[in-house]
Amino acid sequence: MIHHIRSLFLLLALLCGGVATAAEPAPKSIPKPIPEPMILTATAQGRDMEAALAALNQAIVNHNYTFVRQQAIDNRLVPYAQEVRSVRLVYFCNFAKMDRALRLDLRAAQMLPCRVTLIETPTGVDLIAVNPAWVSQNMPGLHEECQELKNDYLAILEEASL
Amino acid sequence: MKRIAVLLALAWCFPAHAEPLSVSKAVDMRQALDDLALAAANHELVLVKMQPIDTALAKRGFENPHMRILFIGSESAVRWAEAVEPRLLNLLPLRLTLIQRDGRMTVMSDDFALWLHEFPSDPAHRMIEAWQAELKAMLDDFVRQ
Repeated sequence: MIHHIRSLFLLLALLCGGVATAAEPAPKSIPKPIPEPMILTATAQGRDMEAALAALNQAIVNHNYTFVRQQAIDNRLVPYAQEVRSVRLVYFCNFAKMDRALRLDLRAAQMLPCRVTLIETPTGVDLIAVNPAWVSQNMPGLHEECQELKNDYLAILEEASL
Repeated sequence: MKRIAVLLALAWCFPAHAEPLSVSKAVDMRQALDDLALAAANHELVLVKMQPIDTALAKRGFENPHMRILFIGSESAVRWAEAVEPRLLNLLPLRLTLIQRDGRMTVMSDDFALWLHEFPSDPAHRMIEAWQAELKAMLDDFVRQ
């Protein structure tokens, strides 16, 4: 009888231990979110500004975006003849994506319209964009959309710099 | 140079906020744009471009979000960024979002806190604060009109 009671206690102890072990979270490392870079860049080596602009405009269209406008960085701030030729801004958008993002969070306006800054250097043209996933780090409702937008930017920059 | 010194002095007076600047008053879109143009001129800022995303979306069959985007700049800001920290060219011209709701117009800036965090050291940090302070002064002026 005593032997049976001991066996029962032993079984209960084992079971409790098993349950306790199962209830504890498995010791696994939780991956930290990778910090997003502020800037996305590509370089069109050996191209001048006109060629880089043409390639960028084509890449924008190829990725289902609409060209909005291009301007010098100091457009309207100085007379046209004095505008800097080596830094240009290209704006573009996809209206369906814009509509969807604004429905999610009006702060999406901080990323509208999409923009690439082109800076001519002695060896080519740098194409630079602010990473929308960096901008949306404090906007959880927009972050997924912005990750997609970031991928679109990367694809456009890559194609434009090939 | 003198203008940059004034901006830096402004930055000392207005500590940085950890969220976008935002003001509102009871005006329609047309009046808001007129008042903003005047406020900008009072602070030696220029309205570079107005992006009518409300009509652009409505024209294409999407819901009208009743909002527009304004780009505001100054030559001194561009020249400073070109010379000292070209990455800040990506913040220029400064952007304001106009949102019309229930007879009130809310005008909101981008979130400067992100940029201040990204540029923790001077002179870039101080210059972002100066731009923020300048925009705040301009928006306060807009509200008073």
